[in-house]
Amino acid sequence: MTRPFEISRRGLLSTAAGAAVLSVAGRAKAAGKTLNFADIGVGDPGGDWSGFTKASGWNVNLVAIGNAPSAILNVMIGGGGTSTYDIINIVGGMQPPLISNHLIEAIDPAEMPDWAKDTYISEYLTEGKPGFQFIGYQGRLYGVPSVLQGDAFAYLPEKTGPLDSYAALFDPKWRGYVALENNYTTAGQKTALYLKKAGLADIKDPANMSPAEIKAVVDFLIGRKKGGQFRVLWSSFEQAVDLIVRKEVYVIDCWEPMVFAAAAKGVHAVYADPKEGYLLWAMAAYLVNKRNGSAAEKKASYELLNFMLGGWYGAKITLLRGYMTNPLAPAYAASHPAEFTAAEAKKIAAITANVKHKFDQGGTWQNRWPTHIDAYESEWQRFEAA
Amino acid sequence: MRRARAAVRYGLLGLPGVFLVVFLVCPLLLTFAISFWQRTGFTFTPALTFNSYRAFFSGVRLLVFDRSLLISLEATAISLLLAYPVAYFLAFHAVPKAVRICLSLFTVPFLINYIIRTFAWTYLLDRSGPVNRLLQWLGLVHHPVSWLLYSDFAVFIGLVSAYMPFMVFPLWLSLSGIDQRLIEASWMLGARPARTFFGVILPLSLPGIFAATIFGFVGSFGESAVPTILGGVGFQLMGNTITSAMDVLDYPLAAAMSSVVVIAMLGLLTAWFLSFDLRALLGKIMEWRR
Repeated sequence: MTRPFEISRRGLLSTAAGAAVLSVAGRAKAAGKTLNFADIGVGDPGGDWSGFTKASGWNVNLVAIGNAPSAILNVMIGGGGTSTYDIINIVGGMQPPLISNHLIEAIDPAEMPDWAKDTYISEYLTEGKPGFQFIGYQGRLYGVPSVLQGDAFAYLPEKTGPLDSYAALFDPKWRGYVALENNYTTAGQKTALYLKKAGLADIKDPANMSPAEIKAVVDFLIGRKKGGQFRVLWSSFEQAVDLIVRKEVYVIDCWEPMVFAAAAKGVHAVYADPKEGYLLWAMAAYLVNKRNGSAAEKKASYELLNFMLGGWYGAKITLLRGYMTNPLAPAYAASHPAEFTAAEAKKIAAITANVKHKFDQGGTWQNRWPTHIDAYESEWQRFEAA
Repeated sequence: MRRARAAVRYGLLGLPGVFLVVFLVCPLLLTFAISFWQRTGFTFTPALTFNSYRAFFSGVRLLVFDRSLLISLEATAISLLLAYPVAYFLAFHAVPKAVRICLSLFTVPFLINYIIRTFAWTYLLDRSGPVNRLLQWLGLVHHPVSWLLYSDFAVFIGLVSAYMPFMVFPLWLSLSGIDQRLIEASWMLGARPARTFFGVILPLSLPGIFAATIFGFVGSFGESAVPTILGGVGFQLMGNTITSAMDVLDYPLAAAMSSVVVIAMLGLLTAWFLSFDLRALLGKIMEWRR
């Protein structure tokens, strides 16, 4: 979930996606048969859909959309999304509002041959696993996992030395040099995970807290806020990278690609491996309940979803975005030197192994739409206003 | 002929009128109506309930409203104190060419993306930024000053720099429209410059002051980017809390808050309309037309 004024979660990538839209749209129009693919920027393989087009005869028109729930619903309902888009690829867990408003359809895995090859689904996302809420709802499947990731926090080792616990975010030693994401389903849930693991609060499930539990989390945060612990609550990719690069903060609750971006600017930050575990999440590609959609479009949509479960697409997205995608990706990159250099294949394998480690380590699955989301939102307002 | 001219006149007036009704009045009325709707799960049903207003006026968001009012008033006052002398100088002491250049310079910030402009302040004001380095070089401080950024101070800087340029224009219009003979009469009757200013110039420039105040206040009150980028730990104004309500799809609450803000702003505009003759503000333009 994102916050105001957003150049939001993965927003950095949306800009690139926006540019890609124009070029792809132009080519797609020329060909005639086109699928409209709404995406928050992460699912764009550098504008290259030629593999899919060659195999299916369909072009892909990628359209950048925001990831905030209100932005998605606005696009889908008010913005005519159900008349336009065939697939929307966003951070998963948005099924409750999307299904309630009849915006997406249940998917049939049998239509996607590569579904069964994706062992991440059976390991982490199948029914009965905590990750199911990212792709399923009430026993039915709605999303195809496109990327998986675990979030923690980053730090500047030159300033702090090695850190291995979320306690660092609240350690008075770094008072005034800590930043949190302005988001209750990420920063709030990580804080809940820390409080639970440290025995500082009685929280049954950090992924789905009761109003009393989220209140306890916010009370804790307000105490730290009043003690001057936090420098800022960041709201965009660029802002967080900037905080690291300028060394304005030493410890920051953030996403791993921000550390890569800081490294590209010459700043060595380390993405922590916290003993409490990670905030795990996945992106899901949903089949839009398209008004007047044809059978041919639906068939092509399934083909595109299957393409996204394939090795080339997975490897490309891992390489470009730094997220784990599907189990076929590292092997595909390693066995296709004409498409991926040895260094790229090595990088894809390393990223995949790193994220896999996070999932093995466990933690808490982000919940984009907890049962008491209104309580989350109003408590977070209290934190911000305190 | 006369009828044709009238038709053209009403046609020309009608087009912007229709535009205003369709794109401003209708959305505002819809927002107001939605504020009374009932939220049921992920959807809303038309109703006449005050639940959203109750939630707003009894919750923490009212604090945000109060804070927004206070911050906006303070930022507007600061902007006014800075903009008025500039406008005064341009109206009474600058040659026309200098006026044109200065007013053009005040439009330059609008050529740069607003978000980028606001972000630029973070580079200037952070702990390792040029302002802190200068303060340390001058020996005024020995350690970087933290409160320059992510603080109330930074929000004021952001708001004033964003809206002060807007305020110079109505002030200059108002001041330059003042009949010079009134000022000369005051001098000839022996009034000192200060008395002339407080007795003649200031009262006659009130329409411009009020217009500038509205420009500054309305902008600051609905601001969301400046507090997000410069405000530190959860600094919120009304724009932020409205967006937050929309994130959990509480559109009736967001609509109720928006309605309260719009009503407050309409109150201000009505006061301006009732208190001042628009021709006093547009004196210069009216003069040119004659």
